[in-house]
Amino acid sequence: MATDELITAVIVDDHTAIAAGVRFWCSQAVPPIELIDAGDRLADVWTGPGGEADVVIFDLELVPRRPDFGELRRLVDNGRRVIVYSQHTDDATAIKCVDLGALAYLTKREGPEHLVPAIRAAARGEPYTGPSLSGAIIADDSPDRPRLSQRETEVLRAWFVSSSKDLVAAKLNITVKTVDTYITRVRIKYANAGRAARTKSELVGRALDDGVITLAELNEPIL
Amino acid sequence: MGDAVEEATRARLRRGLRVATLLIALVIVGGLGLTNLLHHLDRYEWPLTQFAALGLLAVVLTGEAVLLVRRRSWDRLRLPAIAVVLAASMLSYATLPDGRTSTTVDWIFGAANWVGVVVLLDRPLRVIVSFLIAHELTALLNLLVLEGSSRQALARFATGSVTVIGFPLCVAVVAGILHGLSAAAAASREEIERVRVAEAVAAEFHRRRQQRFAELSATTVPLLEGLADGSLRPEDPAVQRRSAIEAARMRRLFAETDSVADPLLHELRHCVDVADRRGVVVELDARGQWPAPPVAVRRDLTEAVVIMLATAASRARVTVTGGAGLVSVSVVADCGEVSVPSPATPGVRVEALQNDETVWMEAQWQPTN
Repeated sequence: MATDELITAVIVDDHTAIAAGVRFWCSQAVPPIELIDAGDRLADVWTGPGGEADVVIFDLELVPRRPDFGELRRLVDNGRRVIVYSQHTDDATAIKCVDLGALAYLTKREGPEHLVPAIRAAARGEPYTGPSLSGAIIADDSPDRPRLSQRETEVLRAWFVSSSKDLVAAKLNITVKTVDTYITRVRIKYANAGRAARTKSELVGRALDDGVITLAELNEPIL
Repeated sequence: MGDAVEEATRARLRRGLRVATLLIALVIVGGLGLTNLLHHLDRYEWPLTQFAALGLLAVVLTGEAVLLVRRRSWDRLRLPAIAVVLAASMLSYATLPDGRTSTTVDWIFGAANWVGVVVLLDRPLRVIVSFLIAHELTALLNLLVLEGSSRQALARFATGSVTVIGFPLCVAVVAGILHGLSAAAAASREEIERVRVAEAVAAEFHRRRQQRFAELSATTVPLLEGLADGSLRPEDPAVQRRSAIEAARMRRLFAETDSVADPLLHELRHCVDVADRRGVVVELDARGQWPAPPVAVRRDLTEAVVIMLATAASRARVTVTGGAGLVSVSVVADCGEVSVPSPATPGVRVEALQNDETVWMEAQWQPTN
């Protein structure tokens, strides 16, 4: 879709204050993003205006302490572009959401400076990796994790720590664009691992086309 | 005298007493008992049962000898052993010729008591007394029920009992005193130990308090003195910043003595709390695992956070990342110019990066081991 077209997003969240806050951020964004509030009704994500929205902002825990991974999987399998917006900060949940095919995982502590770019990226079918997800990836020590290069880990750690790409670029003497490339490469490696999902294979395919990563790099053996 | 030496001495004493008692019992059963038995062999109706009773006593004594050599005690075998001794008595009495209780024909009267004492030597005195009474009752029952008592027989029985009960009791009392002495020695040693520990703890507390006061005196005391004598004005932003830094340092100092799973994060939370009260929005996030750094290293790691949070204008992000080989405390805040603290411990490195109003300071520690 063309970038000048109006992006629409639908939010499922049982807390009205969250939805109202996100609506405010979306209206303040330049260009603004149209937000549909589905409240806690999952049906409104599938049918009506919500069914047409470009991006789904999904509260993982509509029922407290019971993350709805099943619904996330159904959304992703139907080709929806999903941003998981969670109050959870535990690493395993974040990694699992990415593995299921969510394009972004943001915690509710991460404000508009991360949510708005995440919505724009998701509308283009691209991933957005916020600081908390970066933290989850650098702390990931599961045996089947993708192998990251030292530089990739360095960039990801600096991004988690500083929460500012300008600072990361200044610290590591690289451009912000290069910072983004490293972060994207990590996400491509994660998209290439684990469960198959349409959003994930699209990511990998596009990254290979764009030369962000090579096939050889993707198929490096697991550490 | 060291614990080990004391314990060894006590063990030797107990063992000596055990050997002596066993020897007495062997002499009495094997010497006196057997001699009397053989001497009066023709008087027994069923000599074989008498030999069987002697055999039972011999089995128990052999058991003691084996345990003694293997340095073990009777434990669970004790009760069966006592049952065997009493059974031997009953067997002997059941086939004893009438009117012979507590005469030399009644060889077991003065023998089984010693065997019982051998088995019960390390038990409390009342257990041995109970056994001796049971032994006496066996004989008395035989006297009263099977033989019908005459005055003469009762008198003989009473006289015999003096030695039958008296001598083993003496041995038991000596053993009891020996036990009591060791217990008292152990108790007083524990008490001494307890007092020594309490003293050491008090001294350590005192030392730490003095040390803490010394640490504060270098930075906090001049500030307080300046405020008191009016040379420092509370409305001066520089003085306010110094106060904020000292407040955070004191909070950190208090938090250092708490025993928590992750002292580094614990102390950071206290530093963050001080900034929270100033209205600075602080995010604290941690990833990974790390070994608990020593106090001096933790101070170096958190010092950047203390200084930055005291000067932050509105927001700050504090993160801890770590693994086995590297622990890093990082703080990003809008605090303009700050001086970079120089770490006191080797192995800690502090780096600062300024980008407009935002400062990023990172303290890293590489454990050397």
